[in-house]
Formats: sequence, C-alpha cells, structure tokens
Amino acid sequence: MVSGTLPTWDAIVVGGGHNGLVCAAYLARGGLRTLVLERRETVGGAAATAELEPGVRIPLVADTVGRLRPAIARDLRLHDHGLRLIAPAVRAFAPQPDGRAVTLWADVERTARDLGEWSAADAAAYPVFDARVRVFGRFLAGFGDTTPPDLHAPGLADALAGLRLGRAWRGLGTVDGRALLRALPMAVADFVGEAFESEAVRATLATRGVRYAALGPWSAGSTAHLLTDSAAPGAGAAGQTVFAVGGPGALADALAAAARAAGATIRTGEGVRRVATLDGRVQGVVLASGEEVAAPIVVSALDPKRTLLGLLDPVELGPTMVWRAGNLRLGGVVAKVDLALAGLPHFPAAGEGPTAERRLRGRILVGATSIDDLERAFDASTVGRLSDAPFLEATIPSLADPSLVVGAREPRHVMSVLVQWAPYHRREGDWDADRKRLGDLVLARLDEVAPGIGALVTARRVLTPLDLEREFGMTEGHPLHGEPGLDQWFAWRPMAGLGRYRLPVGGLYLAGSGAHPGGGITGAPGANAAREVLADRRAGLP
Amino acid sequence: MAQRYDAIVIGGGHNGLVGGAYLARAGLRTVVLEQRHVLGGAAATEEVVPGFRFTVFSYVVSLLRPEIIRELELPRHGLAILPLDGTFTPLDDDYLWRVDDHGRTMRELRRWSRLDAEAYEEYGRLMVEMARFVKPVLSMVPPDPTVLDPRPWLPVGALARRFAELSDRQQQAFIQLMTMSSADFLDQWFETDPLKATMSASGIIGTFLGVRSPGTAYVLLHHYMGEIDGAFRAWGLPRGGTGGISNAIGAAARAFGAEVRTEARVERILVRDGRATGVVLEGGETLEADDVLSSLDPRQTFERLLEPDVLPTEARLELGRFKYRGSSGKVNLALDGLPDFRCLPGPGDHLRGAMSFSPSVDYMVRAYEDAKYGRFSRRPYVDCVIPTLTDPSMAPPGKHVMSCFVQYAPYQLAEGEGTWDDQREAFGEAVIDTIEERAPNIRSLIVGRQVLTPLDIERTIGLSEGNIFQGELTLEQLFFNRPVPGWTGFRTPLRDLWLCGSAVHPGGGIMGAPGRLAALEVLRARRDGRRGQRAEKTTSGEATGPGSGGLPGAALGGVGSAGRAARRAFDTLRDAAAAAGRGREGGTGW
Repeated sequence: MVSGTLPTWDAIVVGGGHNGLVCAAYLARGGLRTLVLERRETVGGAAATAELEPGVRIPLVADTVGRLRPAIARDLRLHDHGLRLIAPAVRAFAPQPDGRAVTLWADVERTARDLGEWSAADAAAYPVFDARVRVFGRFLAGFGDTTPPDLHAPGLADALAGLRLGRAWRGLGTVDGRALLRALPMAVADFVGEAFESEAVRATLATRGVRYAALGPWSAGSTAHLLTDSAAPGAGAAGQTVFAVGGPGALADALAAAARAAGATIRTGEGVRRVATLDGRVQGVVLASGEEVAAPIVVSALDPKRTLLGLLDPVELGPTMVWRAGNLRLGGVVAKVDLALAGLPHFPAAGEGPTAERRLRGRILVGATSIDDLERAFDASTVGRLSDAPFLEATIPSLADPSLVVGAREPRHVMSVLVQWAPYHRREGDWDADRKRLGDLVLARLDEVAPGIGALVTARRVLTPLDLEREFGMTEGHPLHGEPGLDQWFAWRPMAGLGRYRLPVGGLYLAGSGAHPGGGITGAPGANAAREVLADRRAGLP
Repeated sequence: MAQRYDAIVIGGGHNGLVGGAYLARAGLRTVVLEQRHVLGGAAATEEVVPGFRFTVFSYVVSLLRPEIIRELELPRHGLAILPLDGTFTPLDDDYLWRVDDHGRTMRELRRWSRLDAEAYEEYGRLMVEMARFVKPVLSMVPPDPTVLDPRPWLPVGALARRFAELSDRQQQAFIQLMTMSSADFLDQWFETDPLKATMSASGIIGTFLGVRSPGTAYVLLHHYMGEIDGAFRAWGLPRGGTGGISNAIGAAARAFGAEVRTEARVERILVRDGRATGVVLEGGETLEADDVLSSLDPRQTFERLLEPDVLPTEARLELGRFKYRGSSGKVNLALDGLPDFRCLPGPGDHLRGAMSFSPSVDYMVRAYEDAKYGRFSRRPYVDCVIPTLTDPSMAPPGKHVMSCFVQYAPYQLAEGEGTWDDQREAFGEAVIDTIEERAPNIRSLIVGRQVLTPLDIERTIGLSEGNIFQGELTLEQLFFNRPVPGWTGFRTPLRDLWLCGSAVHPGGGIMGAPGRLAALEVLRARRDGRRGQRAEKTTSGEATGPGSGGLPGAALGGVGSAGRAARRAFDTLRDAAAAAGRGREGGTGW
C-alpha cells in the first residue's frame, strides 16, 4: 500500500496517447474510477496536431487516422464528441522517374483504368489483388479485435488440432485460408511481384509493407505488415487515407472527451516515475513530482520496454524477464519532417489544373519507383546509416482540411513527411548534429518530384528518431512501440507469455501499440486491454 | 511390351534412392531411374581431376535421418561417417576457432568475450531443447490447414500440446527461430562479431536471403537437429564423399530388390485417364507402374516430363509461384599441399574442420547486397572443408582436395552482369581471391579446379535455377505450403504421381526424410486402396477411391469464378470423402 493515501482510483492509465485514452474510456464505461496520467501538456501522444507557425497547424507525427476501429468510434460516440473525418478520392500518388505517376484511388475501377497506362496485365490484375487484400484485411481486423490465446492453455492443442481457430478462419474458406497462410510470412516484394509486372506499380503497392518498420520489401513478414495495415475499413490494396478535421489531435480531443464523459479523469503534465509494487502486486504509481497515487490496477500505454525496464523494479521482474525485455526489438527507423508552405508545390507528374490538385490529396510516395530502389534505401539502415535516397511518404492535409491553415496571415499549406529508414541506432554521427542535414536531404528528395518546393518553405520542424524518443517517450524512436515483425506478433506481442495484455506483475496491464494487434492509430490494443482488465475484475482477480 | 513395375522412382539422388529402398523393402517391384552415370544427384562423388575425387556438390552431412540409417541398414552397405571437428574463422590477424572439445571452445570464446562464453553454453542448451521439440516435425506428414478432418492433425496436436507445456522463454525462442533473422536472433546472445557472422552463416546456406533477413534463424535450428550417432549438432564427412552415402543407399535399395538404373533418363511421364501410368525413357523404352514417384523438383517434373494441360490452370499458376532462386556455387580445388593461414600459420587441426570465411556480420550483409542486385558476391561467404585430411582416399598421397561452398551466386544475373557462362572464371577467381587474402599460398597449390555456377548445377543435376534445396526454404514454402498449399501427403493433382524430393516436406539437405515419408505414404495408400476396393464391393456409393491424388488439384481454385467453382467441387468431394473415410480405419491422409 502506498503510504498515506486512500485509493480513490480503481485504475490508473499511464500515458494519454490514443490507446491510453481508448482504454480509459472503456474502463470508465465499465464502471471503474479511472485516472489517466499524461506526461506532456496535451493528450494524444503521436496523434497530435501542433502549430508550426502562427495559425498554421500540422499533424505532428501520425497524419492519417483511417485505421481507427469502427466499433471504437461507435462505442465511444466519437462523432458526438466532435470527430469529423475526410476521405479524399485519391489514396496514393507515386511520381516516377519518367515523369508519369502511379495513382491509387479509392475507386478500384478507376485505379485499374489508370494502371492500364503502366501495364494492361496489371490493370486486369488489380481488382483481383484488391479483393484478396480486402478479404485478408477483414480477417485480420477481426483477428486484431480478439485477445490472443494463452499459449500455455491445454486447450491450445485442441484448438489447433481441431482447427477451431474461430468462425472467421472457416469463413475464409479453403482457397483464401491457404493463400493467407502462405502470404503472411512472405516478402512483400514477392506478394506484389506475383500479381503485377510493372516495377512502379509493385513498388507503390509494396510501401505499406515496410512503412514504420525496419523491414525492406525483400524482408520476410513484410506482407503480414501490409495486410495488418489493410485491416481498416475499405482499405484494400490502396490502403486508407483518412484525415481527421483539425488533424490527428482532433481525434485525441474526441477520445479525451469520450473518456471524460464516461467518468475518467485526465491529468496532463504528470509524468510517472515508477509503478509501485508490493509482493508481486501493483499498488499504484509514483509521479515525477514524488506524489504517490494508489490504485489496484495500473494500465501502461507506454511501450513495453519502457514499461518493463523503466517503470518496474528489476528485482521485481527477475533477471530472465529483464534480459528478455532488453531484447525486445524496438530500433526505430523513421523520422518526421513537417513543412509550412507558402503555396501548393507543383508536382509535374500530377499534371496541371484541378485534376492535379486532386491527385495530391492522399499519400504522396517519393521513391516508390521500383522494389530495388526501396530495398536500396533500406540497405543503408541495416548497417546503421541513413540512405542518401530515403523513401518518403508525404501528405498535404491542408488540401482536404483547410481548417488547419485558416488562422494563417498569408495563404499556407502544410506538408507532413514521413522519412523511412532513418535508423535510431547509427554507427556514427548523432541525430542532434544531423537534424538540419536530415531536413535538407528530405527537401532535396522532394525537389526531385516537386521542383522548387524549397522556395515555398516558410517553416519546418524535423523530428529525428531521437526526438521521437525524447518528445513522445517512444523507446528507441519506434512509433509502433516495437517492430511489427512476425517474431513480435499476435500471441507473442510483445513477447511470449505477455501476449494477453497482462504483464508479470499482478494488476499491471499493457494497452499500447506494443500489444496485439500492434501499432498504428487503431485503438485496438487499448480496447482489448480494457476488456481484459474488466474481465479480470469481474472474475475477482485483481 | 512395356516393363511393368509396382512403382517407378524418377531420379537417383539420395531421396529417390531412399524412396526406392523403402518401397522395395515393403515388397514392391521398384525401379529407380537416374539420368547420370553416377548415383546421388547432388550427393555424388566424381573424379574430375585425375586422381582427385571431388564431392562435387554437397560436401558434409548432418541431417541424414537416423531411422533411415537404421531401417535401411546403411552401415552394412558401406556408410561410414567420419566426424568433422570444429569451425575455423580466419580473420586478418586473428581467428575464431570452435571445436567439439568444450573446454577448448570455452577458453577460445573467453579470449573474445567472457559474456559470450557464458551465453554460448546457455544458448547451446536452449537450441538442443528446441531441436528436440521440433524434431518430430521432420517425420510428420503435414496436414492441410483448411481441411477440418481432424485425423491428419493428430501429430500436430501432439506437437501443440508439447508447445503449450514449454516455458515462456522456450516458446519465445521457438517463435523467434521461426520468424527472425539469424543475425538478429544471435544479437540477443552474443557480442563477438566473427562469432555471430559464422553462426548466422548457417542460416543463409542455400537460400536467397541475408543474415539480416527475417526467416533465416530457422536454419540455425535445422543445424542443431543434425544427429550423428545420437550426438546432436555433429557434422560429418561421409567416407568416399557424399557419393558414399548415395552408394550405400543404392546398395541397400538393390539388396531389398529394387532395380537401380543409371544413364536412364526419363523423357516423359505417361498419363492415361488422368493418372500417371509409367514413364518413357530416352531411347523410347517404356516402363509402366501403378505409382510414379518423382524425386525431381516440381518444375522439372511438371514442365519437362509432363504436358502443361495435366494440371488445372490455377495449379499451374501456383506451381509457377514456387520459388527456386539458386544462390550458391561451388568451387572444388585439387591441391598440391595444404593452405597456410596468415593468422595461424602451418598445418594443424584447424584445417580438419570447416573453414568459414565470414569475418563479420557486415561482410555477410555486403555479400548478400551484391546478390540482391543481381551480381555474384565480390567477397563471398565461403565455407571450405579439406576432406582428404579425414579421408585420405580422396586424393593421391600428399595431395588434397578442398571443397568450397560459395554464397552468393544468384542464378539470375542482372543486366550488364553478363551470363554465367562468361562469368564462371571471374566467379572462381573471386572465391580464390577471398581465400588468398587469408591463406596467401593457396593459388600456388592449385593443380586443378572445378567451378560450378548455379547454371552448372541446374544443367548437370537438374536442380531448377541451381537451388540446392529444390526450392527456397522460406517460411511460406515450408510444411503444408511445400511445394504448393493444398498438395498434401506428397500427392500431386495428377493421380498416382507423387513427389519425393527435397521440394516436399521437410525440405533439403542430405536428410532423406522426403523420400522416406513419401514412400510410406505410397505404401499406406496402397494398403488403404486394397481395403477400399474390398469396401467398395460391400458398400456402394463410395465417391472416391482412397489414395486418390487427384483431389487436391480440384481444390486449387483461385479468386476467379472458375476458382470458386473448383473450390465448391473440392468441398463436395472432400465432404464425400470424409464421410466415406469415417467408415474405414485409417484415412486417405489428405
């Protein structure tokens, strides 16, 4: 028992990122007196909107929110709490060296028509490929909403032997079931290579298999990553591109409002120093200020490494768990560049006029020109270097959502750029010294597809992997709280024995992206963790 | 009049011979047909330079299943495996040398890192536990995961029960081994770069993957499954080269009554009424049989020996997706003396084991990067053995042969990289340069050399794209996915045609398991078939005869409407067969 305080709380959620908020909202709805503690001054974590210059707001880290589970939006009535979504007709636009571009639209037929410019065979293959990705995505969405099985349960054998892996698995049928099992461990280069012949088309479709991950297109398991990303409503092969009006911070605000409406209390500017334990049970938390807050349940929405090694006493964990936690693969490989622009940059590959502008409303892929080009950009990261030609995924959210720049004194656009394969662990050099160099490199890379963009920049912010760690507490700068490889997946995410949201201290749970089904703004880990907390409580466990 | 057999085995490699031996042992009139003048396929010994016998392709053995050695009484037929002691990794001015002598290895590792020495023991224990856990898989017939009939799942269920009983840490290790890269896996344990490089190298052998590619850790385990005389993790040199194994299996097959023919190249497989009924040899001779087993890879079997239309379109497409992607080459050297390493001069025991040119993980990564973009590694990973130090009969007195396995040599060279026919010598030079950097006298010792590119491997022994495992050993091509999801029980969509080479579960290496398992399935189907025929007389309405290999083919539907129709047809057949199967003992196995 933490001395001197009466337990006013049933549950404390450490970390007010989107998963922490989702979890808190569900806990509060379940009748628990719930307190959320967020170290930063605003909630949302990586789902944040920040001002870049006066009146100009930009998604700080994540830029789209389309993977949010529809059930969560419904349960928490996020629309009532102010969430508005915009889904442009275009999903992705990938300029190519010859001046053309691959464009993926929400409309499958339109995409197929456009792909005809690259290859008639690819145009014909696209709807089939898209349909298959949708089938897999639907299955994985259901899979993601499910708490993984206990790998020690005696019933596990029967489940596998009798193939009672659930109705969803049977629903897949023979052909899709076999195809899915074959696809998951595949390299995404093979997955797209089997369906398409044009390098530009292959690369464009493959990018979601490597985004945010220390994977290259030839890495096994990148297909699983692509399909997990496709577990979003209507994502399909093109992937979703859905913006929240007001940026991802608006989602965070809606989630916070929902949590508060359900009865949760949110305190910002309150970092947690450690989780207090006694005899293998959680007692509460100790704040950075030294204040002790008691609660029988603590849910961490921080990454698993920080949770296990940063918040807990190593003696409590024991040497084996400390060793295993230290081996969690979290080395981040992405950086973020935010730009304020004096006007809309000109992308010659998009053509001219209003059509051109429509092509720029989704994800703009720079460097998705061939599988080999992507792989080369990845190669550098495997030996701890930043590629000279990194892959970039940019959005210009102010096109679809002018509210972001409505307060600007002069006309403005904002561009949010994800830099892929900027490794946190570098062999030489350090990120603090190279922040400007990274920004310049990104602008030079953008200039290749949008000549003159540099002259439009009125403000920029560079977040290196080191900044992501410092600012958002993502250990080793990993935005997904852990590599999404098949070795940290499903019932063994973050590791075998901890795959069911329960950590090795009684009453301590994991609700962040380091838990199944992993990273991205889905809210699923938070919702699943809340369900398990409530189930344990009903069972009288904590 | 055609010669009539119970079973024909196409290909006299070690798997074909094992398959033939098991069939003959069960009393079947069996013939094994090998196109070359020597038996063994990739496990063959040949005198390429006069007086010097090369183990031309494969060169060491570890995985040969003990039950095969026992059941076929191979030692009686001349099999002798001599232990290969240690792995020596030469560096610029130092070396890393691990041997079977535990104390010496510990002292050597402590010289590099005290922590690594401690971790090495724990690591070894864990890997042996893992190997014990996973070994039953090697003798298992993979079920089709989409078929709900529980019987084929029983062995998997047993494995799952044992999995549930493993500790968290063991479960974690197993999952990591199945999914991680070998270098990432080893990073958890060790800090010594040459140690990690050399150990991770075993994860990439025969695959078009790098030490940092997820999926390579599995092969680390594969190597702990090797068993010689009951000792895990032992590697050996067969007396007389790897051809010695093949000859012993061939002798066993003959002793059981099989006919084993060399220089008998199969021209095509005969098909009548949707069944394989025999083969036609080069020269026109026709052989007929109830069952035809091909130990060739599926591309050779279906594209060279059969007309394309024996397979439904979807099955053809799926087979086309099976990845070969040969990535290895071989350089065999006839030497006038022994190489002299700069880092450890003079002769010594370090030459008696494997010599691994794998100085650092980055070196391995760079070697792979060359291959990824379509050129052979300028500084390749080379794994050498000098079998004459263990088995002097391989060369004239005082002379030696050195067998160098080389990676990477991508079958498909990029544009501008020339063709393998004009790159062969340059490739050989790159290998010798690599050795020369650390053993400067090597060039002066060479009295004869043989350079084998993946193209040569394909041409000589018919391994498509030169893949030494008859198809990549990647996760999506293992267990029930090998070679095509849904082709279970070693059957193919063509009835009475079976696959028994490394292209089927459990895959490549001189293991013999595919040949044995396939033969046992054939025998089971024949038993069930006889029972089935008896049953047919008494109960009418059995929709499908047991052992009907045609069924999986019907299941190979795609996403198109034709595929759906095929799937429905398959489902109907499956249900009918399952219903019929319930009335019998045993099952059809699919």
